Amino acid sequence: MFQDILISGLVNSGVYALLALGFSLIFGVARIVNIAHTAFYMLAAFALYGLLVVGGMPLLLAIPLAVVAVVALSLVCYKLVIEPVRQHESAVLIATIALALIFQESLLVSFGGSFLGIPNAVEGVTSIIGVRVSYQRLIVLAVVAVTLVATWYLLNRTRLGLAIRAAANDQEIANLMGINVSRVAMYTVGISVALAAIAGVVVAPVFVVDPLMWLAPLVTMLAIVVLGGLGSLKGSVIGAFIIGYVEAITVFAVPSGSYLKGAVALSIMIVVLLLRPEGLFGVVFEEER
Amino acid sequence: MSRKLLLTAVAALGLVVSQGVWSQSIKIAVLGPMAFVQGENHWAGAEMARDEINKAGGISVGGVKRQIELVKVDTNEIQSVPDATNAIERAITRDKADFLIGGFRSEAVLAMQEVAMDAKKLFLGAGAADAKLCENVTKDYERYKYWFRITPTKSADLARTIFAVLGSVGEQIRKDLKKETPKVAILSEKAAWTEALVKAAQANLPKMKMEVVGTWQPSPIATDVTAELSAIKRSGADIVFTIVSGPMGIVLGRQMGELQLPAVAFGINVEAQKDGFWQATAGKGNYVATLDTFSEVETTPKTIPFVKAFKERFKKTPTYNAATYDAIHILQTAIEQTGTIDANKLIPVIEKMESVGAAATATWDKSHDLIWAVGKTSGIAVQWQDGQKVAFWPPQTKGMKPFKMPK
Amino acid sequence: MKGLLAWPQWLWAQLRHEVLVLPSRSFIFFAALLLLVLPFFYDDPYVLRIITMTAIFAIFAASWDLLAGFTGQVNFGHALFFGVGAYTSALLSYHLGWVPLLTVPLGAALAMVTGVLVGIPCLRLRGSYLSLATLAFPLILTGVLFAFPDFSGGELGVSGLKRIMVGSVGNYYVAVVLMLLLCFGMWKIGDSNTGLIFHAIREDEVACRASGINTTRYKLLAFALSGLFAGLAGALFAHFMRVAGPSSLEVALSFQVVIWGIFGGIATIYGPVVAVFVLYPLTEILASFDIFKEIRLLIFAVIVLLVLLFMPQGLTPWIRDKIELVCPRCKNRNVFSRHQCRLCGAELR
Repeated sequence: MFQDILISGLVNSGVYALLALGFSLIFGVARIVNIAHTAFYMLAAFALYGLLVVGGMPLLLAIPLAVVAVVALSLVCYKLVIEPVRQHESAVLIATIALALIFQESLLVSFGGSFLGIPNAVEGVTSIIGVRVSYQRLIVLAVVAVTLVATWYLLNRTRLGLAIRAAANDQEIANLMGINVSRVAMYTVGISVALAAIAGVVVAPVFVVDPLMWLAPLVTMLAIVVLGGLGSLKGSVIGAFIIGYVEAITVFAVPSGSYLKGAVALSIMIVVLLLRPEGLFGVVFEEER
Repeated sequence: MSRKLLLTAVAALGLVVSQGVWSQSIKIAVLGPMAFVQGENHWAGAEMARDEINKAGGISVGGVKRQIELVKVDTNEIQSVPDATNAIERAITRDKADFLIGGFRSEAVLAMQEVAMDAKKLFLGAGAADAKLCENVTKDYERYKYWFRITPTKSADLARTIFAVLGSVGEQIRKDLKKETPKVAILSEKAAWTEALVKAAQANLPKMKMEVVGTWQPSPIATDVTAELSAIKRSGADIVFTIVSGPMGIVLGRQMGELQLPAVAFGINVEAQKDGFWQATAGKGNYVATLDTFSEVETTPKTIPFVKAFKERFKKTPTYNAATYDAIHILQTAIEQTGTIDANKLIPVIEKMESVGAAATATWDKSHDLIWAVGKTSGIAVQWQDGQKVAFWPPQTKGMKPFKMPK
Repeated sequence: MKGLLAWPQWLWAQLRHEVLVLPSRSFIFFAALLLLVLPFFYDDPYVLRIITMTAIFAIFAASWDLLAGFTGQVNFGHALFFGVGAYTSALLSYHLGWVPLLTVPLGAALAMVTGVLVGIPCLRLRGSYLSLATLAFPLILTGVLFAFPDFSGGELGVSGLKRIMVGSVGNYYVAVVLMLLLCFGMWKIGDSNTGLIFHAIREDEVACRASGINTTRYKLLAFALSGLFAGLAGALFAHFMRVAGPSSLEVALSFQVVIWGIFGGIATIYGPVVAVFVLYPLTEILASFDIFKEIRLLIFAVIVLLVLLFMPQGLTPWIRDKIELVCPRCKNRNVFSRHQCRLCGAELR
């Protein structure tokens, strides 16, 4: 049973980590609570379905195309909808909610409300420490690991990453230092959505795809970023693994109570917030006067 | 010149007459979540009935033939219960519907039932299985008598069907695997409607000489059941008894196939009833078996022609919601018998009716709920075999094929 | 004799000097009158139903504004109070058979207590942390309710409740009159000293505390009041629909009220009310046209987005700015056609 928890938790945590990391990036740099984040994850899954299953494209072409398409869409949305109302925090909030709804409804109209399946990239199962794992899940793990490392490299070893971290730290000073904050924000949006899209395309074959699939991960992801500390990238990843494993343990330890895993995750979040209001690794922002 | 005049006169007369016929049509509102499979089937079944009856001239109301006019009402009940009540109110007051059929999500149908009863309109349910809907009829007959359930049988009766089929499947396993006591793992979604079934299974299976090796209850929207399936594999189960209505049913089928579990899945798996199941499990959902309603078997003399015609017209197999077809025929029979569309006069007729529909041979009890009987209202059981849904129970019905075990 | 005339005289004076001087107030006044006399001209049960639902949701949206708009505690889980109100009055009515006259206030009271209970952990949270934490509460309550299906009815909720009044006109009046009274009350709260303190807390809580105001007490008060009114709306909803189910706690409802609040204009009370009266019937009207039926929610979201782009502060502030001018000296509002402030006489342009 311990091995089951280990492997099962790893896969789910990995997906959550990608989502939470992207969400934190956008929040840290652009101060946007992007409710539509998981909706982009959903769009990527549907894009893959459309290109692969309906369009019959080869897998190695469909995946990058799906990711690029979703990122491009997100940049367009950002330019048209978010940027004009950047000044009004509350307006940005419902703008992202409205966007998520638009995506959901468009998919509902185009694909219908039924559940869709995407074939695995690689078929077959293997045994790891006594647990049967499908190759697709191993692929998910591999992609998550590679993506996290790549993102770490981008943020810590490149100039763009430096600019992003600077803007996340203090926008005004970053501006004074000659960093084009609005362009950096755009790059950040692109990277963030790319993370969500990558999560969407690798995980889509493992889960079921439907136009309402963005709601459940949204709540868990929000719990994770709050737990880890809003704006803290390290916190998001660690928070993702905590919540991922909590959920795995709940499912295994209480077989007839696996529906509780959502409530357990949220309760943990609330407890942590009571004890440490800014989350585990959160930075308390100076009130921007 | 005169010919032109004649033509115009005929056209004008035709227009007047058709208006007259049109305004005298019987309006039946079809209520359902039209963006989803359930609503689509509600509407499709109703369309089949309407076209069939109208082509034959319409419903005869006391000697005058009246056409059926369908009103498509999108209740959006899956996403919003107030939307559903607004929609039914609109159907009654704005669209002036004479009869209401359909419904799917029990929480919404309970609310819609109230609106329909307020307006004293006949509401024939074609989707919600909650017992409360009919218990209301017993509690307050005068108010709720306008409600009848056409499909499915109530949750408690589903249990009787399931155990009947389980008995068959158990027998086959005893023969094929030469085992006296097949092992059963109960995999049910955690929801109010499954509680009674789970308890009944835990109590009855030992009496049926089958051993319950464990009970797992993931969430109806769980996207991953490998945890549960690994544990089930370790327990050595031969049958995975599923009680699932949500998308977890798809995940279950797919992952069982991927993990190559030697057990066979049978029970209630609503997603497995849909044509899209095979695609949704990426072709891995082989051997998954579930209760169902429509297949090309002779449940009644009407079933095979209906299913064939439905498949030809809509390019998919009907789900149980398409029993709106039966609902409209029931209305037709009652109206033609009494010669009126007055709900109060139709109710006693329906109460005593034995309706030979496409889905079932239906009779109703005092709470306006379906009376359960094998082969009549019990439904059938189907199994996915190589991309096709094959019906295998009840064995005495014509057209049944054998049940297959995974290799 | 003089005493008898004093009251209508006072009313008339109020009307002339407080209400009819500003176009926005006159509009609200006449709209309220229209709502009150509507059933005499047009008693289509469908239309009455729509307006009844709108009124109930208007109370709900206004209660959100009191908490989020005025006090700055942006609540992403407002459906919690709504659901508590709905379930409480439903369960009391169902298990104990009490009349709505009793269960509705009790539902509201329990929601008020819930407000305080939720407010306590939220005292330490700021900004987005607060919003996301509040998102969790309705979900936790839903989980708890599902864990006790015999008591709460599980996914199906409680059904078969009694209506408050018999007939759609009766219920219409209950909802509309309550809405007018409660929203006016909330507006008055917003306009009072307490409302001023709420504003101050939102603007700069540290400065507020430095001025000696016990912000904890006022924040909890805001939570309590907001919970009270939202719970009342929930209880009315349960008795009108005759069912109280988990749909009264869902995330979509919380998001919906946030949209209404921000769309209408925060910190106004009348803003969200106007938003509900514009958006809710709009989605219903769209539903009655075949072409729009399936893309209703889509159109709704697009409209919200477009309005946001052009009126980022909300609908009502934008409209008010067009038809009213602010006096540079005394900061009071005047009709745009005036040249001199009605109160202090300063030049308006």
